Amino acid sequence: MYRRLRLCSNHGGYEAIADPPHPFDLRAVKTVLEKAGIPVVDARVLLIVSLGPEVTISRAGRLLFKTRDARAAEEAFERLRNLLGLPEMQARPADSRVGSD
Amino acid sequence: MARGVMLMSGGIDSPVALHYLLRQGHEMVAVHMDNRPFTDDSPLAKTVDHLAMLRERYHQPIPMYLLPHGPTQINLMRSTDRHFGCVLCRRFMWRSAEKVASRENASFLATGEALGQVASQTLSNMRTATAAVGLPIVRPLIGFDKNEIEAVAKSIGTYEISTRPGVCCQAVPDRPATRSNLVQILHEEERIDVDQMIDDCIRKAVIL
Repeated sequence: MYRRLRLCSNHGGYEAIADPPHPFDLRAVKTVLEKAGIPVVDARVLLIVSLGPEVTISRAGRLLFKTRDARAAEEAFERLRNLLGLPEMQARPADSRVGSD
Repeated sequence: MARGVMLMSGGIDSPVALHYLLRQGHEMVAVHMDNRPFTDDSPLAKTVDHLAMLRERYHQPIPMYLLPHGPTQINLMRSTDRHFGCVLCRRFMWRSAEKVASRENASFLATGEALGQVASQTLSNMRTATAAVGLPIVRPLIGFDKNEIEAVAKSIGTYEISTRPGVCCQAVPDRPATRSNLVQILHEEERIDVDQMIDDCIRKAVIL
């Protein structure tokens, strides 16, 4: 399961972290995304994906959405989740899936 | 006074270091290593705003070289030991700055480094990183602590720009080396075409 999206340490984007960890086979991820027509930069230990907001996908399973728009980050997460079969995000505590800490 | 090249990151330290050099009357040229796609647009925007502020304060033109660093990072990440990523990255920044210095007839390089603040700023890593270049390197903030630097940044008006939201460098390894030696680093650089990477970077420079 992914924790709710939250702002990264410098507040420049939203990050999604899987708990328990959900490591990626980046080569397989790249293949899936490119088949879906999504541009991917392959830096071997991480991928950078153009998905509306740019998304960094690390081997360890962390996703970083380079946008300060919470809704755009959440939409990009859902798209990735559907494409890659990722675990679900934690249920909303109230009216939002996006945390602020 | 001398002519120098200052590495500007968009962070808190480099505009403060530049401020001290300008205050002494040095004629400065700025270099910003554009780290996209490993960051967002914010470091570039912050650097542009820092320079606008310091140009006005010191009535100096301070030309800014914008150099693409993302392709270099991709090559490093694909081909070298991630443990040494920060040191290798710094060596490319220094080499690029030295190329600009040659073009600009500058006689020294400068940064906002202070000892021990981040992984690349240990004495061991500084020595290994700067062995990539021959020009003298000036570090006006080397003995400052973070609080001192922040106080100066606030007093000259650059702090608010530096602390705007932004994405941290995504190329930083999980466990960056805090110690390195030149033999290890030269061994890593045998896996890449250093001269070609620097030439590509300089050829794509944009002067702002």
